[in-house]
Amino acid sequence: MPLYPTASALLHINFFISFLAALCILARLFFDARQGAVPASGKAGAPFPASFFSAAADWSELAISGTALLTTLASAILLYAFVSHDFIVEYVAQYSDTTLPLFYRLTAFWAGQDGSLLFWAWSVAVGGAVFVLLPSFKAVSERTRLWFCLIFLCIMGFFLLLLSLWSNPFKLLDFAPQNGRGLNPLLQNPGMIFHPPLLFLGYGGFVVPGCLALAQTLSGKLFATAGEQAESPWDQASRPFILIAWALLTAGIVLGAWWAYMELGWGGYWAWDPVENASLIPWLVASAYLHTAVIGSRRGKLQRTNVFLISLTTISAFFATYLVRSGVVQSLHAFGSGTVGAPLIIFILAFLYLSLAAVFCAPAPGQKKPPSALAALLCTPLLAAFALLLASAFLGFNAPSFAIAAFVLPLLLLPLLYRSPNAQGQPLEEINTKEGLLLLVAWLLLALAFIILVATMWPVIIDTLKAHADALPAFISARLPKNPSGLDAAFYNQTCLPLFALFALLLLFCPFRKWRIAEGASGFTQPKAAFAALGAALLLAAGLWALGVKNPVALLAAACSLAAMLGIALLFGSNRQLFSLKSALAAHGVHIGLLMTVLGVAFSGPYQEQHTLQLARGQSAQAGDYQVTLNQLYEGEGPAGPDGNSNYYFLEAELLITDAKGGHVGTLSPQRRVYANFEKQTYAEVATRFSLGKEIYATLLSLDSDGKAALTVNVNPLVNWLWIGGTLMSLFPFLGLRRVRRVRSDAPEESLADSSSPATER
Amino acid sequence: MAKKNGKGMYAATLGLFLLGVGYLMFVGLSENTMPFINVSEALAMPATDLKLARLFGTVREDGLSRMADKPGVTFLLEDKDDASKSLWVVYEGAVPDAFKPGAEVIVEGALEEAAKAFRAESLMTKCPSKYQKENRG
Repeated sequence: MPLYPTASALLHINFFISFLAALCILARLFFDARQGAVPASGKAGAPFPASFFSAAADWSELAISGTALLTTLASAILLYAFVSHDFIVEYVAQYSDTTLPLFYRLTAFWAGQDGSLLFWAWSVAVGGAVFVLLPSFKAVSERTRLWFCLIFLCIMGFFLLLLSLWSNPFKLLDFAPQNGRGLNPLLQNPGMIFHPPLLFLGYGGFVVPGCLALAQTLSGKLFATAGEQAESPWDQASRPFILIAWALLTAGIVLGAWWAYMELGWGGYWAWDPVENASLIPWLVASAYLHTAVIGSRRGKLQRTNVFLISLTTISAFFATYLVRSGVVQSLHAFGSGTVGAPLIIFILAFLYLSLAAVFCAPAPGQKKPPSALAALLCTPLLAAFALLLASAFLGFNAPSFAIAAFVLPLLLLPLLYRSPNAQGQPLEEINTKEGLLLLVAWLLLALAFIILVATMWPVIIDTLKAHADALPAFISARLPKNPSGLDAAFYNQTCLPLFALFALLLLFCPFRKWRIAEGASGFTQPKAAFAALGAALLLAAGLWALGVKNPVALLAAACSLAAMLGIALLFGSNRQLFSLKSALAAHGVHIGLLMTVLGVAFSGPYQEQHTLQLARGQSAQAGDYQVTLNQLYEGEGPAGPDGNSNYYFLEAELLITDAKGGHVGTLSPQRRVYANFEKQTYAEVATRFSLGKEIYATLLSLDSDGKAALTVNVNPLVNWLWIGGTLMSLFPFLGLRRVRRVRSDAPEESLADSSSPATER
Repeated sequence: MAKKNGKGMYAATLGLFLLGVGYLMFVGLSENTMPFINVSEALAMPATDLKLARLFGTVREDGLSRMADKPGVTFLLEDKDDASKSLWVVYEGAVPDAFKPGAEVIVEGALEEAAKAFRAESLMTKCPSKYQKENRG
């Protein structure tokens, strides 16, 4: 069957296209710089190598479209293999079988590592190919476009290299088995089907703005705001990508939590597992960027910070992939033992180096721009990473330690490159203005990302420290635990939840703060509404305390989030024109969603009740305020699959729920399922009684030999606010997609837009 | 426009902020760091060091029994690499779906010296989202 070797070859060819195109661009940038010529596509008079590379680089945008086309072809071939049950392909045999419905066969594409990396590469490639066709890309200077293509092709090339060598989804088996192993039943759920692709699209979406930000910085146009050097700023040109990526990432995270809640049957939705944390880190960094971006676009400040934060977002998305794929945290004793772990960490370090170098070297306003040769030199670590990876793949030497040494050492030289000690942007307004508070929010988000990163890597950090205990000062080495150690959920709940509650507190007055406060004037745009919200928070806190909410973090979070929602409503009520400002609606909508989420977590976390019951048919038991009666127990078969057989059979318990007064609350029918191909194991299908107050959540655990059913019944207060809030947070960014006019720092102070906090406004 | 006090305020706020976050982290890390160990490592440790620990291992087939009157399970947790090392685990509560002989599990709890068994407060099986390939049988 030559189809799959062809697909494999497509991935290889695709890698070489990206790699060669990147080399050509780099060479052209180098020659351009040596000649000191303003790059023009005309090659007239240039000596041979320069003219060759210059001509080749003209094709770089086409190379991006080419990689997108080839990745699409490869993806189509993999989908075809799933549809046609071609079990000779190891990946298809591993994640599907003949009973699997078509829908799940198509989505099994991203059920495993190789396929999900291909999906990642595909979404990045298509995103890039779309972007280079957009007018906003054509509007930036040629040099910026070249830099963009260079960095983008390096990233594509890296993922194509992973796919070609270490994680090839087209690996063939020696013979085609009769049937595949099937898709893990836990993944046969709509939440799990859309959770991974949303995350990947979110991660991938940040690649375009990340590359463009670095490209504009490296081409020396970051601070060029006027004259012939000026071009449209990168954040404006890639704005839809930033907002859509953020929305999809949010949706992916929320959907993952919802899947855990509905499918795993343990009653919770967030376990602070390394894999969950991995997706939260890029989200937090991206959110921090969105807040400093407002200062950047509204006030023309913090340009370097913004470039660094968006590329840090891209890097943290790579890191999330690393954390999930390398097994670094699970296996505790091995550093990067997975097949793709070592290449990923090399690439992450190289990209981090490039970002830091670009940000440090960006010339300040009025400064001479650095020679491109220097910038090109800075880019070489990325290509060196490729060389190293290729060498390690073909020559088989131990790349990781060598590579880490090779990249960490140059990082130490960075301060020497710091070119603009006197270059300071405009000073920030005082910290109690909107500007200062936005920065504070960004700090808070970055601190959370840092804490979660350290805590997730804690086992690795402890191990590494212990391995070098001799070299450490005594007061540290004496404190190190004797054994491999780590942290559990209690750490995160204790450390992160108070910080999350602070967001609700900040949202209580941030929307009302002015951008700039004149001497003697009030700092609030609408003092009455602001004080009403503050007063409401105090009253709510007192009321909730009286009702028995004594957990301080939950109390703070609940009172502040409710009052902050009231505050935003008052803001819109007193300024109807805000409704017509799409970007303000988007920002406040996202914040309302966040507040609902905070409210949901504040109650469903500490105030969840879990009751374990053992019931015979007809028997009742008390679960908190509710009476649970087991009405019926019956068996059945799921709907028939494509081959006429059902994919699963089930045992179902019918539970009647009544309240303390005997009133009917609802009937719940949790199931226990056994899936074809997975007979050794049973799976829970939970049942819930939807409520905006206390949601009842039942799981059927087992049936013993006496016919008694073992059940857990949870009462989860306000848990649905989390899902509603998460949905709002994923949808509102789309309102802000349209670009709005840039508000300059010399705009009138009390303008209409001033009373909004448009996280996305220009 | 020149903000003389502005910079000082930012520095002071940042200092306070970092102190606060540092304090939260320090307290959190020193209170919650617990051994993350394999069965063989646990057996080599004094019981006093296992007041709170997370153990990794696989479920042995013999010795596995479900509790009769309530959800729960008693089983032998076997070292991943050394099958001769194992430890009794008692767990009361909802048993995860993927729990079966041979499954890789993570238990969290304390060693009860008198009962010579590990009383697990939580029992987790490896999550399918980690894209672990199952061993080919």
